[in-house]
Amino acid sequence: MAEQHKDSIRVALAGQPNVGKSTVFNLLTGLSQHVGNWPGKTVEQKAGTCEFDSLTFDLVDLPGTYSLSANSPEELIAREYIIREKPDVVVAIVNAATLERSLYLVAELLPLGVPLVIGLNMIDVAEQQGLSIETHVLEAALGVPVVPMVATKGRGVRELLTRIQDIACDGAGYQPNPPDIRADHKQVLQRIEELIDSYTPQEYPPTWVALKVLEGDEQITQMMRPRVPQGTWKEIAGIIGQHEDACVAVASGRYSWIARMVRAAVVKPKVGPITLTDRLDRWATHPLWGLVILVAILALTFALTYALGSPLQKLMDRYIIGGLASLATRFLGGAPAWLLSLVVDGAIHGVGTVLTFFPILLIFFAVLGILEDVGYMARAAYVMDRFMHLMGLHGKSFLPLFLGFGCNVPAVLGSRVVESPRARLLTILVAPLVPCTARMAVIAFLAPVFFRAPTLISWGLLTLNLGVLVLAGLLLHKVILRGERVAFIMELPLYHLPNWHTIAIGVWQRLVSFLEKAGTIILGVSLVTWTLSQFPGGTLETSWMAALGHWLEPIGSLMGLDWRMMVALLSSLIAKENAVATLGVLFGQTKSEASIAVALRAAVAPSAALAFLVMQMLFIPCVATVSAIKQETNTWRWPAFAVLFLLIVSLAAGLATYRLAMLFALS
Amino acid sequence: MLFELLEMLRSGGTHTLKDMARQLDVSEMLVQSMIHELVHLGYLKLAAQSCPGSCEGCPTASCCAIGLEGRLWTLTEVGRRALQSQDP
Repeated sequence: MAEQHKDSIRVALAGQPNVGKSTVFNLLTGLSQHVGNWPGKTVEQKAGTCEFDSLTFDLVDLPGTYSLSANSPEELIAREYIIREKPDVVVAIVNAATLERSLYLVAELLPLGVPLVIGLNMIDVAEQQGLSIETHVLEAALGVPVVPMVATKGRGVRELLTRIQDIACDGAGYQPNPPDIRADHKQVLQRIEELIDSYTPQEYPPTWVALKVLEGDEQITQMMRPRVPQGTWKEIAGIIGQHEDACVAVASGRYSWIARMVRAAVVKPKVGPITLTDRLDRWATHPLWGLVILVAILALTFALTYALGSPLQKLMDRYIIGGLASLATRFLGGAPAWLLSLVVDGAIHGVGTVLTFFPILLIFFAVLGILEDVGYMARAAYVMDRFMHLMGLHGKSFLPLFLGFGCNVPAVLGSRVVESPRARLLTILVAPLVPCTARMAVIAFLAPVFFRAPTLISWGLLTLNLGVLVLAGLLLHKVILRGERVAFIMELPLYHLPNWHTIAIGVWQRLVSFLEKAGTIILGVSLVTWTLSQFPGGTLETSWMAALGHWLEPIGSLMGLDWRMMVALLSSLIAKENAVATLGVLFGQTKSEASIAVALRAAVAPSAALAFLVMQMLFIPCVATVSAIKQETNTWRWPAFAVLFLLIVSLAAGLATYRLAMLFALS
Repeated sequence: MLFELLEMLRSGGTHTLKDMARQLDVSEMLVQSMIHELVHLGYLKLAAQSCPGSCEGCPTASCCAIGLEGRLWTLTEVGRRALQSQDP
């Protein structure tokens, strides 16, 4: 371009939304603005003039767009204007604080062949963020003038106009450095350019058109198709068909170019603006420490639950259950003995015992709610995911599995999000091994009954449970999945202060749901258990329940468990909390005044108790989960497999625990 | 750059934006833009989005113990095919 004299310069202002383009336009045009519509469109067009250095600048404000693909009318307007109207200069306003994002539009503007000037706006915001942009380096790397600006304060406007004038009047030094297509597609692009070159309308840059055809740009493809002879077009279509990933290669070239520019020109402080999230994540998402922290948090959660919940639970047991029982006894003084027994032994000892979980659950849900609300749970999922990586389960599977900590049913139902049928099946089959709150509540109730260090026992049980989950996953993975691997990208939210209102609502909803369950399914099972334990003979020892229990006793005796424990385990099939309700009914019937806890301690040795807890953690899923598995797999084969598999796993684990405990003389 | 990002997903596993940014020597912002581009091109898709924060109307509200914030993306069939075609 030779130096030329001009009276006016036509300038188009381009930029992404929120980069301060309108501020620059208003600053330059002031009262001379006129507003209309783009021809044939409902998109607003703003134009105006500006006098500077005895020159008139005719400015057109192009619609704000992120790129120049044919995704929206705004993008089409912007690129069509530049190509057809050929302004003397296009000014791209970019946000210095979000340079990487802003440069994408520049990467698309450069191949259009119109002289470009970059207004590097919001340079003050970038500086506040600790970013220092070396403008002259960026200018050299891009090959186009770069003007640092703070449009809101009017800074850089004169220099912008000077640079526009320079380039419009003498573009000799203008040598832009546009992005390149990825190296392995260069020849493909070249071939397409050769094929379309002579048919491309004069105003369109052939390389750009070839690029757009290769990218599959609808508008350009439609424009070129009727112009190119059929045979040639067939060849082009063939090339595109062979290079399905060409659109990625084109975009990839742009991103590599952006990364190069930013690396060259942006100086980040060595220490960097380390946020609280960065600092916490250094530990919380570390492969080893992340797991240690997760385990420690789980242990702390249990410790807190026991320290605060267990005394409350004991108080509830003594005053509410005891009080209710004596109240019922007094109230039903004249009633038949069976009715009194039904109310006291069946309902109060059954459901009442489960209801004493309330403080434990309250604390447990509250702690989980807080962890969730501050943003830790996403990290827990990420750390767990690395762990689950071992068994070929990733991201999408751990979401449903994490739901499983609440209840196994949504874990099974949630497995729908896993597309691969085999990965879905694996998720469904291991979901019942996720320790749900019902099972954890049973542990929370029973561990302090039998052991002096309930936190350690609970933590150990949970770890064992997760260990078995991984082992089972590994085993099933080998059989079902045969090496299929899935990849995920995860965005971790920022940590933030807890919102107590949200947490309270979450805890409340979960507790209400627990109370509903206690009032329906657990009450029902308690009454059935009572009925079976009273009939036909009127005593526990001669009841149907005892008959069933004695039938199970041979298995139980292997682990030092009497028939009542086996019946309790079996009753957890209906709902896991029933294990405690059943123990309440069966051990509440002892003649002594001792509480259920004392009766349990007297009847079950610690080694047997540990075996019981292990079995109850790993036992057959509850009926709701089994029916969910049936529903999701649409066959009885897999629920039957899950029941059998977990029966074997739990019995084997129970037996091993009992034998090991005996060996280490826990008794 | 986009192929490099896809390449990181070849071995499976879950990657955070931060990890990817570090490995590609770019900012998290650019990784985010690239993910959006790959979603737009049909190579990645959003697998899960953070729960909206309100339990009302959520089918798992009654028994959900843990919600998750943040987003999760995974490869689409096109993305997997592209990786296969890049096989050495």
